[in-house]
Amino acid sequence: MRKYIEIAKIYIKAQLIWRADVVLNMVFTVTKILFAYLLWGAIFGSKAEVAGFTFHSMLSYYIISAFLNQLDMSSLISNEISTRIRNGTFSKYMILPVSIEKYFVAMESGVVTFYLAFDFIAAIVWIFLFQIKFVFTTNLATIACAILIILLGLLFMAQLNYYLGLLTLKYQEIGTFLMIKNNIVAFVTGSIVPLVLLPGAFVSIMKLFPFYYVTYLPSMLLIGRFQNERIIGLIVIFAWCVILQIVIQVTWGKYRRKYDGVGI
Amino acid sequence: MINQIKKNSRVISVLIKIRFQNLMMFRLGFFGPFFVDGSLFLIQLIVFQTIYLKIDRIGTWGRGEMVLYIGTFSMINAINMFIYFFGVIGIPDKIKSGEMDLYLTKPISPLLRLTFEKINPGSFPLIIMSAFIIAYGINLVNIQITIEKIVVYVFWIIVMSILFYELEVIIRSISFFVISNSSITRIEEAGLELCMQLPGIAFYGVYKLIFCCILPYGIMATIPVQSLVGDLNLTGAIYGVMVVVGFTVITCLIWKRGIKNYNSASS
Repeated sequence: MRKYIEIAKIYIKAQLIWRADVVLNMVFTVTKILFAYLLWGAIFGSKAEVAGFTFHSMLSYYIISAFLNQLDMSSLISNEISTRIRNGTFSKYMILPVSIEKYFVAMESGVVTFYLAFDFIAAIVWIFLFQIKFVFTTNLATIACAILIILLGLLFMAQLNYYLGLLTLKYQEIGTFLMIKNNIVAFVTGSIVPLVLLPGAFVSIMKLFPFYYVTYLPSMLLIGRFQNERIIGLIVIFAWCVILQIVIQVTWGKYRRKYDGVGI
Repeated sequence: MINQIKKNSRVISVLIKIRFQNLMMFRLGFFGPFFVDGSLFLIQLIVFQTIYLKIDRIGTWGRGEMVLYIGTFSMINAINMFIYFFGVIGIPDKIKSGEMDLYLTKPISPLLRLTFEKINPGSFPLIIMSAFIIAYGINLVNIQITIEKIVVYVFWIIVMSILFYELEVIIRSISFFVISNSSITRIEEAGLELCMQLPGIAFYGVYKLIFCCILPYGIMATIPVQSLVGDLNLTGAIYGVMVVVGFTVITCLIWKRGIKNYNSASS
């Protein structure tokens, strides 16, 4: 475990090299908030409530959801694995005396830990700048459950991107697929609009999949809604992490021999 | 003038031929841009269909206008991807690496070559998809479509595609003057992401100034849609033309100044 903590520490320090990126990452969380502020401002001009949201609870949802989205930097994992397999430098990870998957999870943990404080500051700034009457639950059990679901959600996204990166061993070029995946994930995690606006049947199906629990459910829990889903949410996202771990083991065992270390 | 146009047309046709030969060598990602941007705009369509399940109007626009807006933005983006995007995005790297030398020594305009040397036929299905979305929008709005309206709409699509091109060139030309333009391209990404989802009618105050004047992504699809549904008045039309003319002048000035400032690989 100590070596993975060291890896996380190295990545925390490494973020300091790109200070401008840190500031820009903070600043550009505003895009989603501004989108929500202008779009929902126009909608709530003629309506007091939409799908159980008031204007301020809707903006609170977007603040939390943008914060969680910004924390999830797991797409770095799939890009890194895919690039290195393609140019033949993935050997760097294979010769290290560590589990490659755990290495990437530790890397993600380091980056997330670093950005946590900055993204939190950005969220606070947007709340004041857009004069949002921030809606946040006071139920400690719900907050604890939401935090656990968020952590499992981040782990799931790291696993998913690790798995997708490994598919380069088989399919060689997955860049296009990763970009399409990003578009779809943004929608199904409720980052563009809250899933509660979608037809009930679609939402019921989405509850069977992990993406519902990555950003959407924790955001809803933290604004004080869907309290009855917190336990089932924890169970489902945990189950998906286990399932994906098995899929990763099988995929790695099956495809690692295809890596020749010379690039494509 | 006519000779110049003839010469440029020949150059463009040769560049297209070379590009096709090149694409045939690397067929793997041929339709990549279509699938990536196609999924983006289809999701956009679903998002607004979802929102309109709960409400009737956003500002003055109903579901039809919004579908038209998404289709129009998708069309302008498709033209961008099909013709010039992949050429123009290479400008910063060519400046940094000194590869721009090769473009300057050729007896044609470097910008002309950069614009047309990487057309992407794999993005062509995006144009067809956008046309379907626009047709669907027209059906929803239930407006009387006349030849005159279509001609005006196509005119605005062309004009706004030029504006999109100019904005891309301006942002990439900043590399002539600075070491890294990554922050500016991120502003471009953020502006595009926002305006892809929000029509110009949703902006007010300082946001209107930013997205309809300084970074006019907000008017790119809004004005064509307004012209089609009959919401565009003379002031709006003149404003749209003035913005494009203004940005054409700025693009020429920045590009020429940039070329003068270019010191090969040491830029």
